[in-house]
Amino acid sequence: MATDGLHENQTLASLKSEAESLKGKLEEERAKLHDVELHQVAERVEALGQFVMKTRRTLKGHGNKVLCMDWCKDKRRIVSSSQDGKVIVWDSFTTNKEHAVTMPCTWVMACAYAPSGCAIACGGLDNKCSVYPLTFDKNENMAAKKKSVAMHTNYLSACSFTNSDMQILTASGDGTCALWDVESGQLLQSFHGHGADVLCLDLAPSETGNTFVSGGCDKKAMVWDMRSGQCVQAFETHESDINSVRYYPSGDAFASGSDDATCRLYDLRADREVAVYSKDSIIFGASSVDFSLSGRLLFAGYNDYTINVWDVLKGSRVSILFGHENRVSTLRVSPDGTAFCSGSWDHTLRVWA
Amino acid sequence: MSGKVAIGSDIGQARRAVEQLRMEAGIERVKVSKAASDLLQFCMEQAKSDPFLVGIPAATNPFKEKKPCTIL
Repeated sequence: MATDGLHENQTLASLKSEAESLKGKLEEERAKLHDVELHQVAERVEALGQFVMKTRRTLKGHGNKVLCMDWCKDKRRIVSSSQDGKVIVWDSFTTNKEHAVTMPCTWVMACAYAPSGCAIACGGLDNKCSVYPLTFDKNENMAAKKKSVAMHTNYLSACSFTNSDMQILTASGDGTCALWDVESGQLLQSFHGHGADVLCLDLAPSETGNTFVSGGCDKKAMVWDMRSGQCVQAFETHESDINSVRYYPSGDAFASGSDDATCRLYDLRADREVAVYSKDSIIFGASSVDFSLSGRLLFAGYNDYTINVWDVLKGSRVSILFGHENRVSTLRVSPDGTAFCSGSWDHTLRVWA
Repeated sequence: MSGKVAIGSDIGQARRAVEQLRMEAGIERVKVSKAASDLLQFCMEQAKSDPFLVGIPAATNPFKEKKPCTIL
C-alpha cells in the first residue's frame, strides 16, 4: 500500500516536470517566430489625424452603477443592465426608454441583444442567464415571458447570443463558460480550463468559424473550439484579471483589457502577444475594450473614469475622452461603426461620435 | 484513503495539463512579420469604410446635430 502511494507520487512529479518543460518549449516555439514588433511594421503607415469625439447622447435612468450594455443590430437600440437590478432597452437616437424589466437580483452583470432584435438576455448574481422576448404590447408584462436558460454555480459575468437567437454562450464566476440551447435550456457544451472566475467572452466574427475567446481572474485569455469544448490556444501575459476581450474585425487577433492597466493585442496565427497599449500615467485597470470597424482604433474604458483611444497598429494613444463621473464599466462600438456607447458606475450611458 | 483519492484526481489534472500543453506546443505558427503585415493590410483595406477614420458629416450621422442654416 505504501509503495503504491510512492509510485503515484512519482508519476505526478514526472507529469509536473513534463508540463514545465512543455511550457518552456511553447515559449521557445513562440519566440522563434518573433522577428519583428507590430509597431515597427506599422512605421510605414500614415499617422492618424486629430479626432473630435464628443458625447452626443447621455442615457439617464438607471438607479445605480451601469454594469453592461449591448447594441441591437439595428444600430440604434441599446440594452443596458445595472446594479439596481434593472435592465433597460433604449432608443439611442431619442434617448427614450422602450422597455424595462426588474430582475430578481441586484448586480445584473451581463446583458446581450438577440441578433433578431426581438429578445434580450441578462443575468448576474442570480447565477443564471435569462431570455426576455421584447414585445410592444403595453399590456404585456415583460417579466411574465422570462425564460431561464443557463444555470451556473456562481455569478454570470458575460453572455452573448451566437449568430442566431437559438444559442447563448455564457461565462461565469464558477470558472467555466457554457453554450446553451435557448428553447430547451439544455447545456450543449461546457468549457473548462480557467483556474478562476471567467469575466468576459467574445465570439469570433462568423466568417472565421466556431471559436470564441474568454478572459479571467487567472490572468489568462483562452481561445475555445465551440464544437469540441477544447481550448485551442491560451495566452498568459497580463499581470492581473482580464476584464474584457474583443476580436479584431478580421478574426485573426483579439484585444484584452486588464486590471494591470494595460490593453494587449494577441495575434492568433503568430500565437503570441504582439502589442501592449500602456502609459506610465495610466495606473487604473481597463474594464472594457472594443475596436472601430477597420480595427485601426481600440477604444478602452478605464477605472479612472476615462476612455483612451489607441492606434492599434502604432501602439500610441490618439485621444483621451473625459465625461463620466465614475468608472467606465462597459463599452461597445455600434454595429455600423458610427458611434460607440460607454456605461459607467456614474449610473449613465454615453454615446460618443 | 482520502489521500489516495486526492492524488488520483491530481494525476488526472496533471495528465490533462500535459496533453493540453502538448497540443498547444504543436500548433502551426506564422512569423510575427507576416501576421503583422496581414493585420496592417486588413486595416488599410477597411479604413475607407471606418466612420471613425473617414468621418461622417453631421448631416448623415444620426448622433451628430444637424447644423442649422443661417439666413443671410
